Amino acid sequence: MPIRKITTLALFTTLSLIIFTVESAIPPLIPVPGIKLGLANIITLVVLVAFSHKDALLVLLLRILLSTVLFGQTMSLLYSLVGGICCFIVMVLLNHLLRSHWLMITSAFGAISHNLGQLWVAYLITKVPGVVVYLPFLLLSGIITGLFTGLCAHFTLQKLLPLAIRLPFYQKPDDDN
Amino acid sequence: MQAQYSSPTSHEQSRKTSRIALLLILLLAVITLSSIAWMLLRGMPDDTQTDNRYALIADIYQDGELLQSINLNQVNTPYTFVVTGKNDCFNEIQVRPHSIGITTASCPDKLCVHQGFIDTSLLPITCLPNHLIIQIRREACVIPDALTY
Repeated sequence: MPIRKITTLALFTTLSLIIFTVESAIPPLIPVPGIKLGLANIITLVVLVAFSHKDALLVLLLRILLSTVLFGQTMSLLYSLVGGICCFIVMVLLNHLLRSHWLMITSAFGAISHNLGQLWVAYLITKVPGVVVYLPFLLLSGIITGLFTGLCAHFTLQKLLPLAIRLPFYQKPDDDN
Repeated sequence: MQAQYSSPTSHEQSRKTSRIALLLILLLAVITLSSIAWMLLRGMPDDTQTDNRYALIADIYQDGELLQSINLNQVNTPYTFVVTGKNDCFNEIQVRPHSIGITTASCPDKLCVHQGFIDTSLLPITCLPNHLIIQIRREACVIPDALTY
């Protein structure tokens, strides 16, 4: 991997960490476990579209690991990891199907699968089937926050892609790996 | 799948993409409507809520194990008790007539405390760090204790 790409991906990882930190400082609007904005997903989506799914996975995993090391508990690692990977797989599939258009839809389904993954972990940990009652809340919040995140990613890419192409170190993603 | 953002696509391909997108939007709409319907149906207010002839039972689970069942309709004066778990974590639960809630907890996010007091089965109180769940169920039958005195 060329150094320029490492630097760029490190920059994106830092960005998502900053977004994650700022978001966790915001008090929860709805006191339901699992409901949050998920703004850090903007960066995952941006990297997925602008670079490749491998790079997006790298940024996602680094963000989850670093945020756990820096300010997390070991518990939250499992939730973030399962949710993040579920979200990632669905977003890669949908992004491929939709050919990087309709980012809001990709993001919404990603957020839904993130919440479903977390609910599944919550069920495995608490072993109470009653956690299923959270399902409609998590689905609805996933759709709303996912659409918002997708919109953010769309506007970010609109500004970022022409800028990135003009930078001297920008390489077409196909040249790497 | 790489860097296709805003790249020109053939008419045939973009039509196919739009069709998939339309299908997915429909799926999103179905999920949204069914979620709202589910919430409305479960959250319907019921006149048996504060009726003392019906049992409003709060089940407290920790690690999937039922710790206590409290009939909230038979509580006259509020009281609190503490549930402890692994790694010195604790939740202070307050029981009031017809409602139950967590007042203090050792978990970092305090989401369970912010959830306040619940009196329906719509949304159980969950403290994921401490593996604690408080669920409410309503027994439709008349309980014998209420009849004997």
